[in-house]
Amino acid sequence: MPAELLRARGVALGYGGRTVLRNLDFTIERGDFLGVMGPNGSGKTTLLRAMLGLIKPLAGTMEWVAQNGGPPRIGYVPQRERLDPNFPLSALEVAVMGRFGKLGAMRRAGRADVEIALGCLTRVGMDRHAHSPYRSLSGGQQQRVLIARALAGEPDALLLDEPTNGMDIEAERAIMELLLDLQQTNATTILFVTHLLSAIQNFARRVALITRDGSLLIGPKGEILAPQSLARAYTEEI
Amino acid sequence: MDLLTVPFMRNVMLAGVLVALGLAPLSVYVVLRRIVFVGAAVAEISSAGVALAILFNLEPFPVALILTILTFLGFSRAADNPRLPLEALIGMLYAGGSAAAVLLIAKSPRGEGDILNVLFGNILTVPLPLLWMMVIAFGVVAAIQYLAAKEFLIVAYDPDMARALGIRVELWNTLFYVALGGSLRAAFVLATVIGVVATVVGIAGSYWLDLPTGPTIVGILAVLFGLSYLWAATRRA
Repeated sequence: MPAELLRARGVALGYGGRTVLRNLDFTIERGDFLGVMGPNGSGKTTLLRAMLGLIKPLAGTMEWVAQNGGPPRIGYVPQRERLDPNFPLSALEVAVMGRFGKLGAMRRAGRADVEIALGCLTRVGMDRHAHSPYRSLSGGQQQRVLIARALAGEPDALLLDEPTNGMDIEAERAIMELLLDLQQTNATTILFVTHLLSAIQNFARRVALITRDGSLLIGPKGEILAPQSLARAYTEEI
Repeated sequence: MDLLTVPFMRNVMLAGVLVALGLAPLSVYVVLRRIVFVGAAVAEISSAGVALAILFNLEPFPVALILTILTFLGFSRAADNPRLPLEALIGMLYAGGSAAAVLLIAKSPRGEGDILNVLFGNILTVPLPLLWMMVIAFGVVAAIQYLAAKEFLIVAYDPDMARALGIRVELWNTLFYVALGGSLRAAFVLATVIGVVATVVGIAGSYWLDLPTGPTIVGILAVLFGLSYLWAATRRA
């Protein structure tokens, strides 16, 4: 039986006293490849932020399960659009940020950290662009750099917010295949949030669907993408 | 270099270079975080501190420094509130500091000449003890910038990522605001070089052409900005 990585019990999430998600009871297992979907504004990003510890649950508990004496390391890949394009950073400088959590306060990244970040850029096929300005890269290339940044922290799990947003089908496929490869080769747990059914349908192994009443259906892809489950989230027939 | 034989001009040159060296790298973040008017707000709060010191016959520099640090400790807390736009907060600090300075001066026993010095300052009147205080203050600021470079970068660029990595965003934001008082590295170096060059040339130019020193320095910076803008536009074309 796969080991548990994240355990949520009776969790309610929301902002400013408004509950968006309620009665969440679920487990994420190590090595999972889970897609989180739901209508716009349903609370997908809220769920992701709670997992990252950026917001506290209004009720219940959500905890990462320790293994080998320590909590799992989490790599976060935000939506590309959230990052300011005016920062004059190279792809390598962005990737090195993934090492910052491993350095103590006021300690600068050293040669070894740069080498690790460069290795991660190579892993995602971006080593040739290491010294290119991040803002000059295409959407797909920027996404790869952000994945490299998360990998630089040597994570047990990657949490990605809309990783293929704004991409054409080919770029979407390339990114999702990269994630699949990371999961299969490095046994990295992958959890991605998306509003794109194609990414879920073609790549996720398990699916979490946020319903209209703010609860979460989670299970194998075939079960969650069945019409009766989708009808609990979307008013239009999919 | 006859201007350096004039004692007060040596102080002026040293003070200007210290300000440029200490603050130019921070100015990169100020621009990137879109809080350029925070400098104006700092000046007003510090003016209020000087006015407060004059009113109670205290030493102006420490009072201004303490009031500015305390204000920006509060500012960094309020800046984390997503419901309060930063521009609004900076505007309130600017207006509040300016009003406080005028009100305190109105009750001050000293005259109009002091009022102008309080509101605008004068780089030509930097005395030696103040210069030593500047060496210490800007030395501390430069050390913080060097040591906390990675924290300043990530809390400005991606605060969510910073939190996810366990970096204490609020703490480093507080330190950043207090320190205000081609990478990116190239931008820091360039900002410092431009700041120092404009200051030195501005002070020398004001001495030889008999112009006010502060506006001459700012004027040179404005011309440099215009030239760099034209250069970038030409390159894009």
